[in-house]
Amino acid sequence: MQYDTLTQELVDRCLRQGADAAEVFLETNRRLSLAVRNGELETVQEWSAHGVGFRVFVEGKMGFAHSNDLSDASVDQAITSAVAFARHMTADEHNLLPDDPEATQVEGLYDEDLAGVHLDHKISLITELETLAMADPAVNRSGGSRWGDGERAVYLANSHGLSKSYRSTSCSFGVTVVAEKDDQRSSGGESCSRRFFADLVPAEEVAEEAARNAREMLDPQMVRTQRAAVVFDPRVAGALLGGILGAINGERVLQGASFLAGRIGEQIGTELLTVVDDGTLPKGMATAPFDGEGVPTRRRVIIDGGFLRGFMYNTAVASRAGVQSTGNASRGGYASLPGIGPHAFYIAAGTSDPEAIVRDTPRGLYVNGVTGQGINPVTGSFSGGAQGFWIENGRRAFPVRGLTIAGTAAEMLHGIDMMANDLDLNRTITGPTFRIREMQIGGI
Amino acid sequence: MDIKGYFVSDIPRRTFLGRTIKGGLAVATAPGLMALLEGCAPGVQPLTTVQIDRSVLDATIRRALSRGGDFAEVYAEHRIARSILMEESRFRSAELGISQGAGVRVIAGERTGYAYTEEITEEALARAAEVASAIARDNGPTEPVAVGALTPRPSFVTVELPLEYIADEQRLEVMERANQAALDYDPRIAMATINYNDQVRGRLIANSEGLHVSNELPLLFFIVQTLGVEGDARHMGRERLSHHSGFEMFEMVTPEEVATTSARESIAMLEAQDAPAGRMDVVMENGWGGVLVHEAVGHPLEADNIAREIGAFTGKMGQKVASDVFTMVDDGSILNQRGTTDFDDEGTQGRRNVLIEDGVLQGYMTDILSGKQLGMERTGNGRRESFRNLPIPRMTNTFIQMGDSDPDDILASTSSGLYVQSLSGGSVNTVTGQFNFTCREAYLIENGRKTTPVRGATLVGSCIEVVSNIDAVGRDLEFGPGICGKAGQSAEVSVGQPTVRIRGINVGGTRG
Repeated sequence: MQYDTLTQELVDRCLRQGADAAEVFLETNRRLSLAVRNGELETVQEWSAHGVGFRVFVEGKMGFAHSNDLSDASVDQAITSAVAFARHMTADEHNLLPDDPEATQVEGLYDEDLAGVHLDHKISLITELETLAMADPAVNRSGGSRWGDGERAVYLANSHGLSKSYRSTSCSFGVTVVAEKDDQRSSGGESCSRRFFADLVPAEEVAEEAARNAREMLDPQMVRTQRAAVVFDPRVAGALLGGILGAINGERVLQGASFLAGRIGEQIGTELLTVVDDGTLPKGMATAPFDGEGVPTRRRVIIDGGFLRGFMYNTAVASRAGVQSTGNASRGGYASLPGIGPHAFYIAAGTSDPEAIVRDTPRGLYVNGVTGQGINPVTGSFSGGAQGFWIENGRRAFPVRGLTIAGTAAEMLHGIDMMANDLDLNRTITGPTFRIREMQIGGI
Repeated sequence: MDIKGYFVSDIPRRTFLGRTIKGGLAVATAPGLMALLEGCAPGVQPLTTVQIDRSVLDATIRRALSRGGDFAEVYAEHRIARSILMEESRFRSAELGISQGAGVRVIAGERTGYAYTEEITEEALARAAEVASAIARDNGPTEPVAVGALTPRPSFVTVELPLEYIADEQRLEVMERANQAALDYDPRIAMATINYNDQVRGRLIANSEGLHVSNELPLLFFIVQTLGVEGDARHMGRERLSHHSGFEMFEMVTPEEVATTSARESIAMLEAQDAPAGRMDVVMENGWGGVLVHEAVGHPLEADNIAREIGAFTGKMGQKVASDVFTMVDDGSILNQRGTTDFDDEGTQGRRNVLIEDGVLQGYMTDILSGKQLGMERTGNGRRESFRNLPIPRMTNTFIQMGDSDPDDILASTSSGLYVQSLSGGSVNTVTGQFNFTCREAYLIENGRKTTPVRGATLVGSCIEVVSNIDAVGRDLEFGPGICGKAGQSAEVSVGQPTVRIRGINVGGTRG
C-alpha cells in the first residue's frame, strides 16, 4: 500500500477542509505475543493494526483527531472534527510545524530476518528459557515466560512539504520465577529486548539473572534508620534520571515547574556526572531517523561533567523559548499529540570497576530495586522504597527489603562520588553502577 | 432544561440518534429512567453503536471452536473520546479519537488464543477466529450454544445530560470556570492546567455459552493541576473528578470545587518541611487514600496470580489475614462510580464482592479463565483496556468498609506520626506483597494534632503486615478516581476509604 502518497494526499485534504497548516501521522503495526507457563503454551495473541492522526491549525489554533478506520468517510469525519475543534482553541503564534526535510541516517532499525523466525522456534525458545530458570534449586514456581515481536512503520507528512517514513522491528523475551522458603516468597524476573533476532542474548543468561534475582532476595533483614552511602545498580538508574527528564522538559522549564529552570551553564552535579540523550545509536531501541513530528534526531549532551548544557524541546515549545527544536517531540503513536521526551537517555560510563565500588564502601546500601515516583521534577525532592543488599566492610552482607531512601536532587547529583564502567546501552533509560556518598535510609 | 439547545451533531455515525433524543428528553426529568428504558422496556433496543447480526456472531464462534476448545467469545467495541487541554489560561489543544474493533478469544484447557480486527465485517471476524482457533489441539470441533437474543441487563449508570448533546462550548466553559477559580484562590497560584476528557464506549459481547449483551458506557474525567510558587518553594497540586455519567457530573461537583481543592493543596504545601524517615504510625484521611487498599490488598487478591499459585494470598482463603476492624469490598455496581462496569468486559454482571471480612479472607476477584482454573464463580472483574487486549482480573470500585470510629478521635488518639491527606499513587509486587505509595499532601502528627506540612514521602510495607496493623477505621467512607495499570493495560477504577490508622509503616523522609 502506498502510505507515503496517502499521507501527502491527506495533508491536502486537511487544507481543503479549512486548515491553514496540517500534519498527518500514519502508523501501521503488527505484533505477536506468546506466554508459556509450566512448560505449556498459555497464550497466543496476534494482531495487525493501523491508524492515522490529523493535527490541524486554523488561524494559529490547534485541533487533533485520530481514527483507526482509514475509509474515506471516516477520514473525512476525523478531519472535519479536528478543524471544528481547532476553532475553539486559543490562537498561539508558536503553533508551528517543522520544515526540515532531512532525516538522520540511523543504522539497524529493521531486521529482515525476523519475519522468517518460525512460531514453533519462538515457543521452544521461551519454553527452554522457563526450564532453565526453574532449574535453579532455590526456584520452585514459575510466573511464566514471554515472547513478543513486532514490526512498525511510521509515515509522516505536513503542509511544509515534509514527507518521511521509517520502519522498525523489535523482539523480546523474558521470564519471571518465584523462590519460596518457609512463609516467604521472592520473585525475580529478567528480559531482553533487541531490534534484531540474532542479537538476543542466550536464554541461559536471561534465566540465570531471573533465578538469581529471586534467590538472592530470600531471608532479608531490616536495618535501622540512618544516613549511609547508597550504590545504585544499573537497573535503577531511572530513579535518578526520571526526575531529571521531567525537569529538563522545555515546557516545564518555561512554566517554572522545574527545579532546573534558569540553571543552564551551572554546575548541578559532580564532575563524574555526564548525561546524554541519543536518538541515533545503531540498533538502539529508542533510535529513529526523526522525532514524533519529523525533526531529525541527534545525540546531545545534557549534563557535561556536572554542568547543565541544555533542555529538551519540540517545535512549538522551542519557538516559545526562542530556540530550535532539539528533536525531542515524543509521540505515543498515531492517537496522541506530540509531547516532549527522550530517546536513549543515559548516564555516561565512568572508570571504576563496579565491584570495586562495593569493596570501597565500608557501610551502605546496594540498591537494585526502587519504587515510587523518583525525583519530583518540580521540587527536586526524592523519596522511594528500596530493596537490595546491605554492605558491610566492602561486602554484600545480607539482602534488605522494605527500606526507604530519600534526599534532594542537589544532594544526590553532587553526592555521586564513584561512577562505574559497566554501561549497557541496550536499555533505553540507563546508566552504569554509581555511588552516592550519603542518603537518608529509613528502616526500623 | 432545553437539551435541544445544546445539541451538536458532531457524531453523525450514531444510528440511534433519533431514539436517544427521545430517551434523553425523558430522562432529563426522571434521572435513572434511561437505564430502565435500556434494560427493560419492551421494544426499546439497547443504545449500542456496535451491532453484529446473530448469524455472524454464531458463525464466528463456531469457526473459533472448529479445532476444539472449551470457550469462544467475540468482543466488539466502538469508542469516541474527546480530550481538551487548557494550560496557562489558554486552550492549547483539543482532540477527538474514534476507534473500533473486535477481538476473538478461544480458551482450550489452560491455553488462550486471541486475535483482533479493526474492521468489523463477517470476513474479518472469520480471519480473527481462524487465528485464535489455532490454540486448540485440533481434536475435533466443539459445539457452541447458539448466541441468544440481546439480553437486557440492569444498569448502574444513569445519564441526565448525555455527552452527545453537550456542545463543545459547554466543555470549554467548565474548564474556564475551573481555571478562574484556581487563579482566584490565591495570588501564589502561578498556573493551572485543566484536562477535560470524555468518552462513550459501546460494547457487544457474545460467547459460546449463548451470552449476547451490549451497552454503552459514558465516562467523564476532569483533572485540575495547580502550581503554587513562593520564593524558591513550589508545589504542584492536583484534584480529579470522574464519573460514569452524563454532563450532570459538574452539577454534583462543580469545576470550582475541583479547582479550589487543588489550589488549596498547592498553597498549603508551599510551607512543607522535610519529612521524617523510618517506621511510625500513619493516619490516612478518607477518600483517595484508598490507593493503599488498592495496591496493598487489591492487586494481590486478583485471581490470576492466585491461579498461578504465586500470589501473596495463595492458599489463605478463610484465614485471618488482616485486623478484626478491616473489611474490604470490590463493587462494580455502585451507581455512576468511575470503576462501575454494569457488566465486565466478558459480560459478567458487576456486583458487590466482599473480599476480606472482619480480617478473614473471603474471596478473590476472578475473570472467566481464573474462575475456571480455581473452580470459583465469576465475580465481574474480567476487564480489558480495549478490543486490542485480553481480559484479565481487575478491580472496579475497591474500598475499605466503613468502621465506627470518629475520624477526629483517630487523629486525637495518635500521639505522633504522619497524617496523610492525599496520595499521588503507588504500586505493588503481587508475589512478595511489597507495596509503596507516595504522599501528595501530608502533615506531622504531634500530640494528636495535625501540625507542619511535610514534603511528599514514599511509604512502603508488605500487604499482610499493613492490613494487620490497621487498628482504627472511621465512619467517613469516601471515594477517589484513579487510573490503574496492569500488564500494559490501563483501567478506570475508583478507590475508597474511611479515615484509618496504621500502627507502624516505613516512611521515606529525609530527616532521620
